[in-house]
Amino acid sequence: MTLLRVRDLSKAFGGVHALRNVSLDLAAGEIHALIGENGAGKSTLVRILTGALAPDSGTIEIDGREVNGAGPARMRALGVAPIYQQPALFPDLTVAENLAVGLEPARLWRLVSWRERRRRAREMLARVGADIGVDAPARTLRMAEQQLVEIARALGAEARVVLMDEPTASLTDRETARLFELVRDLRARRIGIIYISHRLQEIAALADRVSVLRDGELVATRRRSETSGDELVRLMVGRELRAIFPERTVASGDVVLETEKLTCRASGIADVTFQVRAGEILGFAGLVGAGRTELAHVLFGLTPRDSGTVRLRGGAVRVGSPADAVRLGFAYVPEDRRRHGVVGEMTVAANTTLASLRAISRAGFLDFDAERAIATTYVKRFAIRARSIDAPVETLSGGNQQKVALARWLATRPQVLILDEPTQGVDVAAKAEIHDLIGELATQGLAILLISSELPEILGMSDRVAVMRSGRIAGIVDRVAATEESILALALGHASSDGGAASRS
Amino acid sequence: MTHERVLAACLGLEIVLFTIIGSNFLTLANAGEIVRASAEVGLLAIALTPVILTGGIDLSVGSLLALCAVVFGIASREAGWPIALAAVAAIATGVAAGSLNAALVSRLGVPPLIVTLGTFSLFRGLAEAATAGVRNYSNFPAGFLFLGQGTIGFFPAQAPVLVMVAVGFWLLVHRTTVGRTLMAIGFSTDGARYAGVPVGRRVGAVYVLSGLCAGVASLLYVARLGQAKADAGTGFELMAITAVVLGGTSIFGGRGSVGGTLLGLATLAVLQNGLRLADLPAELAGVVTAALLLAALGANRLFEGRNRG
Amino acid sequence: MMTHRRELSVAAAYAALLAALWFIAPSFFQPANLRDVLVAAAPLLVAGVGMTLVILTRQIDISIGSQFAICAVVAGLLAKDGLAMPIAAAGAVAAGVALGALNGALVAAIGLPSIVVTLATMVGLREALRWTTGGEWVQDLPAGFQWIGLGQSAGRAGIVVAAAIVWAVVAWALRHVAAGRAVYATGSDAEAARLAGMRPRLVVFGVFVLMGALTGLAAVLSAIQFIDVQTNAGAGFELRVIAAVVVGGTSIAGGRGSLAGSLVGVLLLATAGPALVFLGAEAHWDRALQGAIVLAAVAIDSVRGARL
Repeated sequence: MTLLRVRDLSKAFGGVHALRNVSLDLAAGEIHALIGENGAGKSTLVRILTGALAPDSGTIEIDGREVNGAGPARMRALGVAPIYQQPALFPDLTVAENLAVGLEPARLWRLVSWRERRRRAREMLARVGADIGVDAPARTLRMAEQQLVEIARALGAEARVVLMDEPTASLTDRETARLFELVRDLRARRIGIIYISHRLQEIAALADRVSVLRDGELVATRRRSETSGDELVRLMVGRELRAIFPERTVASGDVVLETEKLTCRASGIADVTFQVRAGEILGFAGLVGAGRTELAHVLFGLTPRDSGTVRLRGGAVRVGSPADAVRLGFAYVPEDRRRHGVVGEMTVAANTTLASLRAISRAGFLDFDAERAIATTYVKRFAIRARSIDAPVETLSGGNQQKVALARWLATRPQVLILDEPTQGVDVAAKAEIHDLIGELATQGLAILLISSELPEILGMSDRVAVMRSGRIAGIVDRVAATEESILALALGHASSDGGAASRS
Repeated sequence: MTHERVLAACLGLEIVLFTIIGSNFLTLANAGEIVRASAEVGLLAIALTPVILTGGIDLSVGSLLALCAVVFGIASREAGWPIALAAVAAIATGVAAGSLNAALVSRLGVPPLIVTLGTFSLFRGLAEAATAGVRNYSNFPAGFLFLGQGTIGFFPAQAPVLVMVAVGFWLLVHRTTVGRTLMAIGFSTDGARYAGVPVGRRVGAVYVLSGLCAGVASLLYVARLGQAKADAGTGFELMAITAVVLGGTSIFGGRGSVGGTLLGLATLAVLQNGLRLADLPAELAGVVTAALLLAALGANRLFEGRNRG
Repeated sequence: MMTHRRELSVAAAYAALLAALWFIAPSFFQPANLRDVLVAAAPLLVAGVGMTLVILTRQIDISIGSQFAICAVVAGLLAKDGLAMPIAAAGAVAAGVALGALNGALVAAIGLPSIVVTLATMVGLREALRWTTGGEWVQDLPAGFQWIGLGQSAGRAGIVVAAAIVWAVVAWALRHVAAGRAVYATGSDAEAARLAGMRPRLVVFGVFVLMGALTGLAAVLSAIQFIDVQTNAGAGFELRVIAAVVVGGTSIAGGRGSLAGSLVGVLLLATAGPALVFLGAEAHWDRALQGAIVLAAVAIDSVRGARL
């Protein structure tokens, strides 16, 4: 019996197609896995299925009836329950209360029976085999436990379609095993599960069918028994490198940045060792949660390291804060542009100079002419399209905001430039411009770390590619030897049967 | 149609109104009186501007003024210190107290509202304890009293102090790199940190400065009234905050100006003075102030809403 | 028990204070003195109940001192007009409701920040009151005003009992009525609460109205202890109430706290003043001590890593 069917679902964000004519179906009592690279469209699909986002075109059917235009409340009422990577519980309310929300009528003048709530909560938790105190505030629970509470809540709401988005990203092996049991149990109850994951071993263990998303399109749906890890990887990747990346001669200047056994338990990174030379672009590939951004945070002084060494041009350095990092010559263009990359309410000029105020000041006083000069230079050089340099950055498009972020860091004349998803949410034209800029910067002698989830970008731009997995470096691959398959295989931890071209260097 | 322009228009309206209905309003002497009466609150409000710009608040400035005044009184009248030294003691007290606020806010991360709520009681409490609640220091030398009661040509003696502090803060907030970082912190504390701004140090500094100004204001206060008591500056913190918010500085931080604060201050001071000269009840000032404040907030919200679309 | 660790800490601190008094100045525990402390704490507790809810929803109300004064004057004037005490008291509470609704409308309906709204209403209301009364106290009140005509001992007992009842009723409602839970949800995550159908704006409006009503009641409980009504009553009241609530463990960020904690907070701060005198210190250290207690409480919270 088909529980859920989507036909020709399409969604575009400002010219960028997140989903293109995606069709798939989910049967009752089926675990249907959905895989694809970062940015392939999985999250968009989930958001549409939960009613949080409306598709541009296409239909959604539940039990054979169309449910277009339904919002989150209606989809929930129809039995669609999402379990996100980041659980959304009320942090200060207890587990019992969280479980009650959404299950009790919303009238404000209703008496609440705690005995009833706690009893029901204990029942719900027992169904998912969770050993969690019902009186604990949700914020004291570990990620795994919060997830179990969410699953319990979904079950309690008589969910029939459960959407799980990267559920094991923050779980230990044991918690993962327990989650699998739970998922199989859901299946036994004739609940349909859409299971999004990168981890091929999980797919192999759980899924009945697997659908592969690539660049917003559903390229294939296979029965798990009829496919292999290799084929899935091929399907995830299979494209020609359509984009044209700047020609580069691989420079080999001196080693600028070197790390040795860098470890930070709180962020989950361990024994990270690598080197970057002047003029080199070291790409960092890996799946979401592999630890790349966490590594960048440690390098930039946002999180303290537990052990290991960082050497800048041979000398050991201690980076205690971002202010330290900037002083030493590090620059970091962060992943979250809106919250960390730029200060939206401030002007283009002010944002450009925020990290290099000393350069536009005399004895502490701002030199507005110098500021305008620097801002204008970068606007021209980076072709930043803005009303004026006095326009608030939040009025610029994503691509132009990113260019401002880049300009800010280049104005500090750094030695090491860390780029974290530099072209995420940027339109195609601006992407090419940013790629050219990055290439130019490398030619000028900067040591660049390029964190990216777009494999073509990594392959097109990097001289070498460091692949991270579970907080460690799984391998560093030379440009010549790197292919999408080999990198993805390292990132997934999948030993491909046709051998890899991976090497530790 | 910026906030400041509307406020300036309000101020203009007040001036016109009181010239008509008040007696001897539009005179140089009265202008001097207005400055004299609002100098202390003015200093507090000016120093409060960078605090609120960083998204914080300081409820303790009025109480700190009292504490510094009492320290001054004890130092000069009881311990017999020379006036200059006693003044230094008063200002040092302000700096020390401001540093307490700074440490709790920036090192321990306690919300400024609560920290300064506590120090609001603590500072005045210390002043009360030191004076046993009743002692009153007076009989200050005429040279010192000149600061609060004398005139230099046309201007009251407080004017140069007020002007210097205003200019100093204006330069700090609008012309220095430090000021730029303060605004960034107010708009986005995380964003500022990611840009390499030493957030903790900057935030701490504005509270220390606020304390310093409370110390200076305490000297003006004692000089003007001729006495130092533990009830000095009661209610000043609220007037100061009102002046800052009326002047257009957002309570959430980032947006604002020292010029706006001065306009807000002038609007409130002229209102109080004008009502008195027009023989109208002084309480009307409070009611009008409240209405102005709400109107200013409401207008900002409307404007913001339209901007965000 | 873990979830109430904060409340237990404050209770422990209070117990320590009482223990110190027991050993050093046992005369503190004379019935007359204890009675005085409780009677003085009663209005603080009643207002503290309202303030706890306000802060739980991530708002603040610094205008209750002015509301207090207005409600006290309303009670006095109504009594002077010959109305029976219960009606006069109800009138005071109704005045509080109206004032609270004003704040609530500005914050919840228009969306203005509560700190500045209540700053404005604090100043505006106080000055409006002074204007209409000319600063004169309400005097020549009928004999039935003081102690509601019950006489001193019954009156005092009644005040404490009334405060206790209010505390108990609201504490029960906070736990067992959906609206009470919505208060916590709103403070914890207003957007999620909205999506769950809990109407956070209505909740915020409601807590300001309740705050006003309870301030009115607190004003009555305070006013009936005297034979006339001061028009500058309630000066500094708001900060004492907020301090008590914060010391009691309610987080200024909303969503976390309890009325049990506020009760202990109120008792602690109400006891600290008189305790000083009994412990041999001068009474004028009272305010400094109150400030120190607040700072100590939040500093310890912060060091322990609690979310403030």
